[in-house]
Amino acid sequence: MEFVDTRKLQFQPQLQPQQHQHFHVLAVDDSVIDRKLLERLLRGSSCKVTCVDSGDKALKYLGLVDELDDTTSSTSLESSSSSPPPQPLQQEGIKVNLIMTDYCMPGMSGYDLLKRVKGSSWKDVPVVIMSSENVPSRISMCLEEGAEEFLLKPLQLSDLDKLQPYFLKSLDNSCEKESANSSIDSENDDNVVIINNNNNNSISKRKVMSPEPHHERSRPKMKELAVV
Amino acid sequence: MEVGQMRRQWLDYTRSLFLEGFLDAQFMQLQQLQDDNNPDFVVEVVSLFFEDSERLLKDLTFALDQNAVDFKKVDAHVHQLKGSSSSIGAQRVKNACIPFRNFCEEQNTDACLRCLQQVKQEYCLVKNKLETLFRLEQQIVAAGGSIPMVELTQLSF
Repeated sequence: MEFVDTRKLQFQPQLQPQQHQHFHVLAVDDSVIDRKLLERLLRGSSCKVTCVDSGDKALKYLGLVDELDDTTSSTSLESSSSSPPPQPLQQEGIKVNLIMTDYCMPGMSGYDLLKRVKGSSWKDVPVVIMSSENVPSRISMCLEEGAEEFLLKPLQLSDLDKLQPYFLKSLDNSCEKESANSSIDSENDDNVVIINNNNNNSISKRKVMSPEPHHERSRPKMKELAVV
Repeated sequence: MEVGQMRRQWLDYTRSLFLEGFLDAQFMQLQQLQDDNNPDFVVEVVSLFFEDSERLLKDLTFALDQNAVDFKKVDAHVHQLKGSSSSIGAQRVKNACIPFRNFCEEQNTDACLRCLQQVKQEYCLVKNKLETLFRLEQQIVAAGGSIPMVELTQLSF
């Protein structure tokens, strides 16, 4: 069993020269600690992060609040709609590339938020659900509702691996989307997706044989034992 | 004490915290996320944890003190505490939350109160340990040294 030192690898999505906008993640979690952790993880991957502490606030940010109140007249939300509701925020240029939401939140759950998003004009934005509880039925329920990924908390650097395909997709790469619905077993990912540090921006999916040098930390390393 | 000695002391202390189960690998994730751009990341997250936990423990005490205990509410608080302690690697606090949730489900007030005591105890312990660790770090930095980066393999489990 190889020791994959994914902790040392800081994943940077390769930005094309013409790419001006950062990858924007909307993070939804009622825990201030988890928001901070998520923010740090994502910013470390050059993402722009907007954090909100509830599903309601997420909907407000996405401009979907009107639909919440609309229970009487319009049925466009519930039925297969011919025309999606207007999205002024989208037209004004607020771009969200990925939504990451906690499952268990007071008020609106992550699952409810997922359903709302998938039933709106934001439906093409990938949604990732996070949960501290490994409940297979919960996981499949979310995946069936259109969640792209289900990540187990607490989140770690290695979880960013699973998000790499989404970073790249938004940069209009021609690479195939990784089949990513294997998140139930989040600990034992043998294949590490690594962005090559060259110009062709291709994904090479390979087993890491040795850790790559990591330059971010300023602290000197004291290794008593080699990494096995 | 010179810097080398302080660093060894820090390392020994860190090792003991892992060996005694106060901290788990998630705490190392936090350390990994600390760098030049985020020089105080660990202290910041842990401080948030302290604030959040103290609030939750107060709320738990209040909720269990009621004549008619709302176990759903109690469970919600414990769930939150379990989550946040797990996120920072405070293993013993997290573990103390597990039986607590079971007793909430059973609606057993006495057992819940005992669990609350246990959780408070573990919280106080880890708080003291972490504050000691941070003090050691401050001393190292003040003496012009840098904090060692710990690899999991160094802790010789």
